[in-house]
Amino acid sequence: MAGHAHYREAHPLVFVITHWINLICMIMLAFSGFYIHYPFFGGFMGVARGMHFVAMYVIIINLTFRIIAAFFVKTATDLGSRQVDTDIKNWLPQEKNKHQFFETVKYYLFMRKEAVISAKYGSLQKIAYLATIPLTYLMAYTGFAIYGPTMTWGLFSGGVEMVGGPMNMRIIHYFMMWVFIVFTMIHAYLANIYNFKPSKIIFAWKESE
Amino acid sequence: MAQEAHGAIYDLLAVRGVSRRDFLKYCSYVAAMLGLSEAAAPAIAAAVEKGSKLKPALWLNGGSCTGCTESMAQVDSPDVATIVLELLSLNYFETVMAAAGEHAEKNIKDTIAAGGYLLIYEGSVMTGEDGNTLLVNGHKGTDILKEAAESADAIIAVGACAVDGGWVAAHPNPAEATGVQAFLDVEGVKTPVVNIPCCPMNPEWVVAMVVQWLLVAEDDPATFLAKTELLGKTYADRLTGRDVTLLYPKYVVGSTIHDNCPRRGHFENGDFVTEFGSEEEAMGYCLYKMGCKGPQTFTQCPITRWNRSVSWCVQSGAPCIGCGAISWVDNNTPFFKRLSSMQMGDGLGYVQPGSVAAVVGGVAAAALVAHGLGMKAAGRIGPDGPPTETAKKHDRKRQAKGGDK
Ligand code: HEM
Ligand code: HEM
Ligand code: SF4
Ligand code: SF4
Repeated sequence: MAGHAHYREAHPLVFVITHWINLICMIMLAFSGFYIHYPFFGGFMGVARGMHFVAMYVIIINLTFRIIAAFFVKTATDLGSRQVDTDIKNWLPQEKNKHQFFETVKYYLFMRKEAVISAKYGSLQKIAYLATIPLTYLMAYTGFAIYGPTMTWGLFSGGVEMVGGPMNMRIIHYFMMWVFIVFTMIHAYLANIYNFKPSKIIFAWKESE
Repeated sequence: MAQEAHGAIYDLLAVRGVSRRDFLKYCSYVAAMLGLSEAAAPAIAAAVEKGSKLKPALWLNGGSCTGCTESMAQVDSPDVATIVLELLSLNYFETVMAAAGEHAEKNIKDTIAAGGYLLIYEGSVMTGEDGNTLLVNGHKGTDILKEAAESADAIIAVGACAVDGGWVAAHPNPAEATGVQAFLDVEGVKTPVVNIPCCPMNPEWVVAMVVQWLLVAEDDPATFLAKTELLGKTYADRLTGRDVTLLYPKYVVGSTIHDNCPRRGHFENGDFVTEFGSEEEAMGYCLYKMGCKGPQTFTQCPITRWNRSVSWCVQSGAPCIGCGAISWVDNNTPFFKRLSSMQMGDGLGYVQPGSVAAVVGGVAAAALVAHGLGMKAAGRIGPDGPPTETAKKHDRKRQAKGGDK
């Protein structure tokens, strides 16, 4: 689980870049979001909103690109392997992930000693990474539903009516920020808990044995 | 009101100390509200004059605090808006009419029997206790409304209460109050309803709709609907459990308060009031941090303003409390907090979204620290990590059972 090598095939350069863009956008969005939520110092609202309104397009384009690229770029099929296949196959559950969900949960709850066999990513990891897709789009939806130029579009005003008004939509958007914060906390924790080799490859594109 | 003799309109205005010039100025102001050019002012004046003798109207009060009537009538100088409304043939207006008792009731009956009138309805529709929460001389308010609505040409629902129940319908809504449109939907009454939001409603908006009727309707509701710029907004009515579509004058609800707010420059610059009575407040900074609901509230208050365009909430130093919104009390309290508080089930009180978020974030952080310590204690941390199984448990079990048959 942790002792394997980390090769560039696991995260080809384009995905290192998409991860970077995603991370930077997330930081900008969360920071400006906090500020819009409650301006904790003066003189920054115009900049904060501008930042939010730029990053929100970038993050959506980046995610959409990442998904499309998954059908064309090849990535490693397994941990510590240089053997590659189309990324989407390694991103969606693989043969090796079968029957491993509860075992993985048990492992993290200290209910079993040995680490579980996993494919490119473990079952939980795959669920979490895949979940970021609808979550990010939903975040965009709730955001555009409170965004002046778009909130009157039928697509968004229908949703605003459904949740009972723009105030509730704001609260949902705000809560969803915390979903991302908690995701990122857990994600960064699990990615680095054994050693920093995974981070070296995803951020610096440096291999380690 | 109905008892007063209607003189020629300008005579009447003169008696009240309003000059012809004032009146025309007011008409051009109404024209702007209706999306017409100033050139339409004489046409409006003519329509008002014509209407003054022709259009009968009823002003009924439901579950209301009479604040909207106050808003209409509370002026220290003769107010054109009030006079224009007086010029309608208002056959019943509980709060200010001279008639009383049987005589007043007869006025309602006669008007309904004759038909072809405008119904102005103020206040919520209180349906609780089978309609017995609101009785007028032994008659249920709900019955009076239904009867009056059926024969009316059109209804103007004035104020947040008439729109969707307003504060009367706020949780827990003991009177089981709702708005006019929601009530009429259930009763199957199809008379068109135009909604004028806010608590209280802005008199100028009511006048604009009355004038619009006189100007374009030719006494036909369908023509009125076709020629008036209206905006439909759907909401789920909590009492009736139905989706209700409210028609508003587009002018009134087309943009947010925030979009038209004179303090918007301060908002963009990040100049905020953090405390009442502070220097920032004296400088007229933005009230966002004081809980201003302007960004979420779709009404035209900053442009129309109140008390004959003297001022409005934010201009007078108070954050907008969003009284023009649907379910405005439940959605916008506490008034001085940015986001509304969420109710945690009956009797458990209210909580701010920020507090919930902080707890969730804190618990997650603590759980991760605890988990990390556990990982260390279990000896899993290190360059190699824990040993990995050689075969999946699922496969091992099947192997033990004898494998595939
Ligand atoms: C993905 C596309 C996104 C869109 C289209 C979007 C859009 C918006 C808009 C329009 C606003 C209101 C700004 C204003 O009215 O001044 C807003 C506020 C906010 N956004 Fe986003 N946003 C997005 C993503 C995010 C993300 C990823 C986060 C955090 C991780 C975030 C956190 C916030 C917060 C906390 C607020 C303030 C809410 C409040 O308390 O009023 N947003 N966003
Ligand atoms: C503190 C910041 C972060 C750190 C340290 C970090 C670290 C990592 C690492 C080490 C990997 C590779 C995992 C592996 O191969 O085992 C990874 C992948 C990934 N991370 Fe992050 N990450 C961070 C922030 C985020 C954020 C904010 C998101 C999204 C909300 C995110 C989404 C993903 C996804 C979807 C992958 C899968 C790789 C891919 O799809 O290309 N990460 N991250
Ligand atoms: S005072 Fe309210 S409406 Fe005006 S700019 Fe500030 S937040 Fe917006
Ligand atoms: S500014 Fe806000 S609180 Fe004031 S009347 Fe308008 S909607 Fe109501």
